Order: sequence, then C-alpha cells, then structure tokens
Amino acid sequence: LVLMMSRRRLSGPGSSPPTCRIKCGRCTPCKAVHVPIQPGVSVPLEYYPEAWRCKCHNKLFMP
Amino acid sequence: TLLPLVSPLSDEGKGLMSIKSAFSNVVNELHDWDDVHNGDHCSWRGVSCDKSFSVVSLNLSNLNLGGSISPSVGDLKNLQAIDLKGNQLTGQIPDEIGNCGDLRTLDLSENLLYGDIPFSISKLKQLEDLILKNNQLTGPIPSTLSQLPNLKTLDLARNQLTGDIPRLIYWNEVLQYLGLRGNFLTGTLSPDMCQLTGLWYFDVRANNLTGTIPDNIGNCTSFEILDISYNQITGEIPYNIGFLQVATLSLQGNRLTGKIPEVIGLMQALAVLDLSENELVGPIPPILGNLSYTGKLYLHSNKLTGSIPPELGNMSNLSYLQLNDNQLVGRIPAELGRLGELFELNLANNYLEGPIPQNISSCTALNQLNVYGNRLNGSIPSGFQNLESLTALNLSSNNFRGRIPVELGRIVNLDKLDLSSNDFSGPIPASVGDLEHLLKLNLSRNCLDGPVPAEFGNLRSVQHIDMSFNKLSGKIPVELGQLQNLNTLILRNNNLRGEIPVQLTNCLSLLTLDISHNNFSGELPPTKLFSRFPPESFSGNPLLCGNWLGSLCETYPHGPK
Repeated sequence: LVLMMSRRRLSGPGSSPPTCRIKCGRCTPCKAVHVPIQPGVSVPLEYYPEAWRCKCHNKLFMP
Repeated sequence: TLLPLVSPLSDEGKGLMSIKSAFSNVVNELHDWDDVHNGDHCSWRGVSCDKSFSVVSLNLSNLNLGGSISPSVGDLKNLQAIDLKGNQLTGQIPDEIGNCGDLRTLDLSENLLYGDIPFSISKLKQLEDLILKNNQLTGPIPSTLSQLPNLKTLDLARNQLTGDIPRLIYWNEVLQYLGLRGNFLTGTLSPDMCQLTGLWYFDVRANNLTGTIPDNIGNCTSFEILDISYNQITGEIPYNIGFLQVATLSLQGNRLTGKIPEVIGLMQALAVLDLSENELVGPIPPILGNLSYTGKLYLHSNKLTGSIPPELGNMSNLSYLQLNDNQLVGRIPAELGRLGELFELNLANNYLEGPIPQNISSCTALNQLNVYGNRLNGSIPSGFQNLESLTALNLSSNNFRGRIPVELGRIVNLDKLDLSSNDFSGPIPASVGDLEHLLKLNLSRNCLDGPVPAEFGNLRSVQHIDMSFNKLSGKIPVELGQLQNLNTLILRNNNLRGEIPVQLTNCLSLLTLDISHNNFSGELPPTKLFSRFPPESFSGNPLLCGNWLGSLCETYPHGPK
C-alpha cells in the first residue's frame, strides 16, 4: 500500500515544477530553474533538452 | 657473468608501454611514459595508482592521440576508470577490455572507433558509466549490457548502431541516463521502457524507430527528459502521456496523427514542449495556456486548424513560440502582447487575417518576428520602434498596406527586413539607411514610389537588396557605391532613370545585378565588374547602351552580320 501511495499517478494526470524550498541545504533563496542538458556534440541551432534543478546563487542542486 | 638487462618495470608498466606503442602522436603528449628514464609508471601522465602501485585510472582525454587501443589494456586488472575521450583513436574496442573487472567508468567518446561494441563489456560487473558516443561503432547494442547491475549511464549516441533497442536493457532500476540519439536503430518503443524506474534521461532522437508511443508511457514517472524526436513514430499521442513528470517532451519529426491531447495542458513541469513536424490535426487546446513555466512551445509544421487561443498569452515564461506552417485562421490575439519574455514568434504560412495587434509592441524581448505568408492586413504598428532587440522582421506575402513608418529606422539591430509582396505604398523612408547592421533588405513587389534614398549608402553591412516590382523613380544614388559587402542588387521593374553611376563599380562584392525594365539611359560603365553581368540584367531599358546584341550602341560585334 505504501508503495502504491508513493506513486504520483494515483492523484491524476499533470505535473508541476519542483518545490525547491529545502533542496539547497542551508543556502537561500532556493529557486527552481530550467537547466539545459548537453546531449553530446550538438548540431548548431538545435536547442538542448532542459531539466529542472534547484538553484541557490551559483550552485545547482537536484530537486 | 651477464648483468641483468631486464628493466625494473613491473608488468603493469610494461602493459602501459604496450598501450603507448599502439598510440600515435605520443612524442608530444606521452614523452614521460619512458621505461628507460623513469621506471615509476605511477608518475606518468594520466596514470593513477593505488597504494600497491597498481594502475587504477587512465586519463588521456583530449590529447589528440591517434592509433588504436591496445589489447594490453586488459592487463591492467585493477583499472577503475578509463577516459580516452576526445582523441583520434581508430580501430576496434579490444575484447580484452572485459578483463578489467574493476572498471567503473569507461569513456571512449569522441574518437573514430569502429566495429562492434564487444560483448566482453558485459563482464564488467562494476561498470557504472559506459560512454561511447561520437564514434563510428556499428552492429547491434549487445543485449548482454543488461547484465551490468551497476550501470548508471549508457551513452551510445551518434554512432552507426543498428537493430532493436534490446528490451532487457529496460529492466534496470539503476540506469539513470540512456543516450541513443543519432544511430540507425529500428524496431518499436517497448512498453517495458517504463521499467527504468531510476532513469531521468531517455533520448532516442534521430533513429529509425517505428510503431506507436506505448499506451503506458505515463508510467515512466522518473523521466525528466523524453526525446523520441526524428523517428517514424505513428499513431496518436496517448492520453496517458499526461502522467509524465518530464521537463522536456520532444516528439517532433515523427508521423504522429490525431489531436493534441488536452491533458498536456496539465503538465506544468514542462520547460520544453515540441510537437512540431508531425501530422497533428484539430485546434491548439486553449488549456496549453496553463503551461506558465514553459519556455519553448513548438507546434509548427503540422495540420493544426482553428484560431490561436488568446490563453497562450498566459504563458508568462514563454521565449519561443512557433506555430508556423499550419492551417490556423482568425486574428493574432492581442493577448500575445503579454509575453514579456518572448524571443521568437513565428506564425508564418497560416491563414491568419486582420492586423498585427498594437500590443505585440509590448514584447520588448522579441528578437525574431515572422508572419510570412498569411492574409494579414493593416499597417505596421507604430509601436514597433519599441522592439529594440528585433534582428529579423518578416512581414512578407500578406496584404499589409500604408507607408513604411519612419520609426522602423530605430530598430537598429535589424539584420533581416522583409516587407516584400504586400501593398505598401509611398516613399521608402530615408531612416531605413540607419539600419547599419542590416544584411538583407527585401522591399520588392509593393507599390512603393519616390527615389531610392541616398542614405542607403550607410547600410555598411548589407549584402542583399531587392526593391524590384515597385514604382520607384529617380536615379540610382551614387552613395550605393559605398556598399562593399553588397552581392545582390535587384531593382528590376521600376521607373528608375538616368545613367548607371560609375561609383557602382566600387561594389567589388557585387555578383548579381538586375536593373532590367526601367528607364535607364547612357552607357554602362566600361569595367570588368559590369562585363560579368548577363545582358538580361539590363534588358528592357531601350535607351541603355552596352555590349550586348541589339543594344543601342553595340560596341563589339557578335559574329558576322
């Protein structure tokens, strides 16, 4: 049951950006940002895929 | 008695020397790998040892090494990391690499390696990162890679791998990164892919995958990036996709059909949504306006119908909006003016009508605006002068009318200005000459009159000027002779007159000149530059003399008369 409860899909479709409040350790403010992920040598004009990370000053943390 | 001639080098030192001998360009980069002068192999460049002088890592990345990887690498039994990325290594990956049983990281990316991925790699039970991207590897992905219980990163992107993605690879709860883009992989996406419960990066872009998006795709809840673009995926986008938690959803360049599911409007974690270059039909769901964290929305090159939902104006973080090459109707909603972050707006090749709303002038971050090929009318909004970041403005092939506003000259960063094939009238404002970064200017096929402004001589960078099919009058200003980068000048079908200014011969880059069908007179400047243009460049100017057949003052006879 615990396993099933932990699955987000039981609450219906949809997603939201991470809430970063406590993800940057003691560093504040901690904000969710888009970070481009470089998939190897890329063709110019192609955009990079993006992921969410938590950012505090110049440091990035996993959400 | 004979003195022992054996070097004091250990077996591992000998292994390294043998690795060196298979490389080229070692004179510069590996000169300290020298068993004669330095028997301490642990001090050699790129070599790290443990306490018992056994090599644990080899880092020779970006040294421009050629040659191949010696099978002797298998003699270094305690190796935990090999990093040879960014060299010119060729040949095959030696089977013996499977003997490095402690290997955790193997990075051979960005080389010229060919041949198969050796099955022996599946003996590396400690392997966490296998990075072979940007090589010329062929053959299949060995399904035995599924026997690597600790594999976190599998990056085989940009090789020439063929065959299916082995299903067994999906049954790995540890794998975090699967990079397979840019190969020749075939087969379908398996519903098993959602067994990758620890995976955040799934990238099979640019392969030959067929079949549909698995119905259970929403079960891939750990994915942050899902890129299945540029394959031959068919069928509809399943409703279940709405359960994904991804930041990037790239489905472009496939053959997806059906409508855009409304449920995508609930995926607020989306940073990038790319559904372009498919065969999607129906309207753009207004609920997409809910995606207030999305920065990039690409829906171009589909068969979308209906009007642009005003709700898109709620996407407050949007920087790229491309809806071009669809069948959209109605007006451009004024609400788009609320997109303060918008960098690129492309609405070209639809059936849009009505004017460009004044509010668009509030999109002050706008860099590129393209509404080419619609049925838009009205005049250029005077507020456009606020779009100071604009570098490309394309209003071509619409029904715009009125004068070209003087204020256009204030958009000083413009490098491309295309107002062609509209109903613009009146004179060309001299202020266009203030656009000193302009590379390409197309004002052709309008109803412009008056002279070519002498201020065009200030367009220092300009390469291409087309003002054909208007009602321009007066002479070609001598100032055009200052345009050192001009390679194309098209003035055909106007009412221009007078002599061709000799200063035009200073435009040394000029490759294409077309001044036909005007009222020019006198002689062509007798220079080498002008002799390279064909007679058609000048035809339809009855009073113009040149060295072409039938010219008023033909100077060089063309054969016997």
